[in-house]
Amino acid sequence: MNSKVFALIDCNNFFVSCERLFQPGLEGKPVVVLSSGDGCVVARSNEAKQCGVPMGAPVFKHRQLFERHNILKFSANFELYGDISKRITALLATVTPRIEIYSVDESFLDLSELPITDYAGWGKAVHAMIMRTIGVPVSIGVAPSKTLAKLAAEIAKQHDGYRGAFSFTGLEDHRREAALASMPVEGIWGVGRKSAPKLRAEGITTAHALAAMRPQHAKQLMGIQGRQMVSELNGVSCIGLTPEHEPAKSILRSRTFGEDTNQVHVLEAAIATLGARAAFSLRREDLLARRIGLFANTNRNKPGYRRWVRELKLTTPTNDSGYIISALVEQLNTFFSNRQQYHQLGVFLYDFVPEQALQTDLLGVVDIVNHDRAQARMQALDLINTKWGKGKLYYAAEDLSKSWQPRHDIRSPRYVSSWDELPEAHIV
Amino acid sequence: MREDKEDQGISVHTGFPNPATDASLRSLDLNKLLIAHSASTYLFRVRGNEWEQAGVFDGDIAIVDRALSPRKADTVIWWNEHQESFAISAYHTIPAGATVWGVVTATIHEHRKIHP
Repeated sequence: MNSKVFALIDCNNFFVSCERLFQPGLEGKPVVVLSSGDGCVVARSNEAKQCGVPMGAPVFKHRQLFERHNILKFSANFELYGDISKRITALLATVTPRIEIYSVDESFLDLSELPITDYAGWGKAVHAMIMRTIGVPVSIGVAPSKTLAKLAAEIAKQHDGYRGAFSFTGLEDHRREAALASMPVEGIWGVGRKSAPKLRAEGITTAHALAAMRPQHAKQLMGIQGRQMVSELNGVSCIGLTPEHEPAKSILRSRTFGEDTNQVHVLEAAIATLGARAAFSLRREDLLARRIGLFANTNRNKPGYRRWVRELKLTTPTNDSGYIISALVEQLNTFFSNRQQYHQLGVFLYDFVPEQALQTDLLGVVDIVNHDRAQARMQALDLINTKWGKGKLYYAAEDLSKSWQPRHDIRSPRYVSSWDELPEAHIV
Repeated sequence: MREDKEDQGISVHTGFPNPATDASLRSLDLNKLLIAHSASTYLFRVRGNEWEQAGVFDGDIAIVDRALSPRKADTVIWWNEHQESFAISAYHTIPAGATVWGVVTATIHEHRKIHP
């Protein structure tokens, strides 16, 4: 038997929990955290959920709801969230080096090789340790597959009685079946907005029903992933920890416009979107680009076809979305004309150096302060985007010409990253 | 004899190995001295003048470890519900029912600020 055991450690309402760590008075109150620019809700306390604040809600649309329930709003304090996230990872890495940081608030551990007998007990102990030492609540799911571990963590989150941890591994059959039957199909890892209605139409409404599906049928409905899902729900691991992969040599992101356009703001918006995406890929690989570029062309199939390419060699390698976008928008202005009908636009990054090299080898030529600041901002951006899907946070196109300045009017202090903003304790 | 000594003096291959190249030698690290559990250690700014006799001044930095269980003689950070603020106190003096946030392991007082 070489059966697998995975654990998912999932932080509950992570951004809100980080705020509460340094403001215990927020405990029990409805709290939301807003995206940069204070546009949308990116985290809700349980109380705010109960008030009916939807995830992703734009604040201006729900002003009355916020006022009626006295919901407290915070601008995202990413330096804080990033720091707490790192602490949790550091702690988990002491349990086992076999760890996959899935997102800012979720990590998978491979426990297969560890001499644990009582997994639910182990989970409760880890839950208690993280709560005590770091100070944020987590839910822990243990199971023979990652899909089941996700589900187990969700079950642990929903039932206080489990004290933060639930394990499918070592669970009696009838209890496993009851647990699966209690979980709606939408909550299963990998069941998206597209597949959920298809499954419901077939009468498959719970994890239990999906687990009982014929693999072939699941494949017909959801492709190869559907088949995998059925196996995983039956405790057969198909998805291992994500291995390290080869770093990219260049990154290209391009877009064909729905309609040819001569509008500069459409092109700028495209640069913003594509630039942000390309930079994100770069950051995910811990790389910096020394060269960045932009191309645009008119429709190849129409008369007067033209193509423009601009390239920049940077003095300081970067992976900062804001910098890349504004530099490329500047390049756009060197050839843009509203007499042209643009059909396609692309952004490319290449000539990469590893991020660490910058801080050591190239120390002398780099504006470290600005680099680090940009770095912190980018990590923050990525936290949100990895958590909530690509492009939840984006550079507003109207800000393109100016430097990007996040608004922080209701941001909590940078408790862990600024000497001037340490939490204060009064002698009593 | 004298010549021998001079020879040794200019030879780069004899004599003691340069200790600075020995990987096992590490410089003293204040983080190691002051922080036992980096994941659970946070920093606070001390406010108030009441402890000057004890050598703790307004503006000092308190190193706080959440991984430690408070003992009788400890100094702790706790959340003062009524004041809506953090308090630093001798553990045995905190009100019953107050939750300890973390144990203070050290305070740092800068006699001359080198980073203004």
